Amino acid sequence: MFLRTGIRRRGAVLAGVAALGLALAACSGGGSAGSSGGSGGGADSTLVAYTGQAGDYQINFNPFSPSKIGGLGTIYEPLFFYNKAEVRDPVPLLGTEQVWNDDGTELSVTLREGVTWSDGESFTAKDVEFTFTLLKDNPSINSGGFDGTAKAVDDTHVTFTFEQPAFVKGPDVMNTPIVPEHLWKDINPVEDVIENPVGTGAYLLDSFKPQAFTYKANPDYWGGEPAVTNIRFLSLSGNQAGADAIAAGTVDWQTGPIPDIQNTHQNFPSYDAYTQWQNQMVLSTCSSAEMGCTGPQTDPAVRKALYYAMDRTQLNKLAFMETANEMSPVFTLTPSQDEFVSDAVTEKTAPMTADPDKAAQLLEDAGWAKGSDGIYAKDGEKLTLTVEVVTGWTDYITALDTMASQAKAAGIDLQTAQSSWNEWTEKKGSGKFELAIDSLWQGPAPDPFYLYNYFFDSGSGAKVGKSAGNNYSRYSNPEVDKALDELAKLPLDDAAARQPYFDTIQEQILEDMPYVPILTGGTTSVWNTAKFSGWPSDDDLYAFPAVWSAMDAAEIFKKIQPAG
Amino acid sequence: MNYFLRKMGFYVVALWAALTLNFAIPRLLPGNPVDILLAKLQQRGGTVTPETREAYALLLGGDDSQPLWNQYVDYLNNLVHGDLGVSVSYYPAQVTDVIAQSLPWTVVLVGIATVMAAVLGVTLGAFVGWKPGTWLDSLIPATTLLAAVPYFWLALILAYVLARVLGWFPLQGGYDVVLDPGWNAEFILSAIHYGALPALTIVLASVGGWLLGMRNMMVSTLSEDYVLTAEAKGLSPRTVLRSYASRNAMLPSVAGFAISLGFVVSGSVITEQVFSYPGIGGRLLGAVTNNDYALMQGLFLVITLAVLGANLVVDLLYGLIDPRTRARS
Repeated sequence: MFLRTGIRRRGAVLAGVAALGLALAACSGGGSAGSSGGSGGGADSTLVAYTGQAGDYQINFNPFSPSKIGGLGTIYEPLFFYNKAEVRDPVPLLGTEQVWNDDGTELSVTLREGVTWSDGESFTAKDVEFTFTLLKDNPSINSGGFDGTAKAVDDTHVTFTFEQPAFVKGPDVMNTPIVPEHLWKDINPVEDVIENPVGTGAYLLDSFKPQAFTYKANPDYWGGEPAVTNIRFLSLSGNQAGADAIAAGTVDWQTGPIPDIQNTHQNFPSYDAYTQWQNQMVLSTCSSAEMGCTGPQTDPAVRKALYYAMDRTQLNKLAFMETANEMSPVFTLTPSQDEFVSDAVTEKTAPMTADPDKAAQLLEDAGWAKGSDGIYAKDGEKLTLTVEVVTGWTDYITALDTMASQAKAAGIDLQTAQSSWNEWTEKKGSGKFELAIDSLWQGPAPDPFYLYNYFFDSGSGAKVGKSAGNNYSRYSNPEVDKALDELAKLPLDDAAARQPYFDTIQEQILEDMPYVPILTGGTTSVWNTAKFSGWPSDDDLYAFPAVWSAMDAAEIFKKIQPAG
Repeated sequence: MNYFLRKMGFYVVALWAALTLNFAIPRLLPGNPVDILLAKLQQRGGTVTPETREAYALLLGGDDSQPLWNQYVDYLNNLVHGDLGVSVSYYPAQVTDVIAQSLPWTVVLVGIATVMAAVLGVTLGAFVGWKPGTWLDSLIPATTLLAAVPYFWLALILAYVLARVLGWFPLQGGYDVVLDPGWNAEFILSAIHYGALPALTIVLASVGGWLLGMRNMMVSTLSEDYVLTAEAKGLSPRTVLRSYASRNAMLPSVAGFAISLGFVVSGSVITEQVFSYPGIGGRLLGAVTNNDYALMQGLFLVITLAVLGANLVVDLLYGLIDPRTRARS
């Protein structure tokens, strides 16, 4: 889910209180008598955004730094923009065309002509070559794992060559922000915080203060100067403060929950809320006994019984304010990635109502027998499972409470263990857990390959006790591994050749279910529709609407228009 | 002189103990900074691949490979040179820079509020204690009620009423971010305007303690023989109140004041959360949640030094203003 770090832990105490405050404010006619706070400065075309930044900003506009505070997409542009919200062709930015050779070892990109850096120098293929060479030479900033070779053919053509077929690496390459060679060749790309960022993007850095930084429109932008002339990013203490700022009318766009979100427009007439679904909420299991996991959840029948024991309609209502959505049991986003679902998958989405009989059937077939207390047991071991959750993640905790009573009806005893975020992360990494409530995320392109590769590939798992990567459920299935290897050799647009491998993966993970699907979590943006128009909508979902998702936000900033 | 030397010796030992604890405690926390940085990145919409993990592990250095003892020696050595290391969560910023940027906000806001609360509480307490049993005594339950209400609740109520409903104060922030921080009237006025509400909550929440303490000391001092003597001499009530009763009754409050000055640095976590006020509290919270050892150590060090320093000053001052504490038994 979005920015859980700061929000929830404090939210546990404050949320209720502020919710009361907001509700009262709403009753009194949305009386936002507060001062204009951050949105001063006269012109209405200043958009004030809140990304969920908790605490002051420390200046860092180095696009390769993990602690960068901004600049991606807005100042530094990538070659193409991939819209994760919909399966669409990538949007050309600095690149205009990309072509793979047949065996996927060479990618040729045509670059846009007439683009200049914001200091007046012109942008050429040399800059692209430089950027990728820089990444390869500095492993500590090569977070996309670029291992090819970039070569400028002439001023507007670049080729990337790889030793292995690298179709699936394309989106990562195309998403990489390009930096100017003439400035970057003399700096330390790892440690320089780039106080005066120079890019090709639609915005320039206007001013920086630890409490806020402001972009101004780039008058020489190749796509034309954007209509929103200034964008200010505020630092507040967390998402609760963000919700308060919406109520006070001092922030124009924030992505995060606010109380009574369904009625945002009634409560605050200038604002509207819009939800999209990307994070697939799951009960992750330490699934593999071979890798050292212990507990009843190592039996696939138990995992599937849990899947059928859930009443998802009730969960959505009680825990997620009805902002969550249906979820595909094979982890394709629904409905945007439905085309990837195997024909053999009969249930396209996880059942929204509980089916305790089916759960019982699964357990009994696997040799579990119901005890006198109504809980199943096998070989003297009771079917008791502990779910790890982070203290203060109130929606997940409510979900687990609800789930516990649903599971009980199906003869499964579900216990909840709360711990700090650090501890929870540690337990998942080392494999010392039975179940954990968490969410799975998407890759750089709208393609389920990435999620499968991140979470189901044994390469990113590890034995219990060793630190695992993304695949902390320690799922290990040679057939899935093989299918993933084969998929990596196929072009992303060759649907016919890829589908058989997707079929294999989906069949296997549906059978083993190392992550038990719950629902797809909603990411809700609240934005000012009185001051700005042209926000993404169901009719035109041109970017994933989350202000903290920098590349998407950059597209949105370029597209929206000040009202009036 | 001997008294001062003994005191100084004690503080050196206390400082060393504090520094060592400061080193040890963050390392007992679960989790490691790379995992947490990755989790944060993922939440910001980044994609986390195995390569990302490798890159960040490289970037942040393999601190864990060194034996703990070497880390400890390095830590002490760097401290002596004023080098607090590099913050992981604000990489590559120096811890000293991060702290320097936030500290003034906290010191000014909480410092002024603490002084105001203490002066107000002690003065009121002196008057209430002077005439115990009168209507003035009702100030005690009124102010202790404010102190007893959980601080975050009091702050939220005030924020709601004064900022949201009445609109007298801004709800969030340290100043109007359109302005440039600096020594100009516009910025300072804005900072005062934004700081007034947080300061008010701190004063309201802490004035009761001062008042109660001072009032009770005042009552017991008034029953001392020297006060009776002063009254018998025919001194004016004002002189007795000021020079005889208050001065003696104030001694514990002076000690309390020094200690609370020491906690100014650390005492603002909730204030900063409620009002999104810039300062050290938010940094501390961030450092703990991100397992940013270097920043945590730096902040704890500043807090430790502030508390020890304030205690030292009071100890030395006490030797001057109250000769009894100097006497060797």
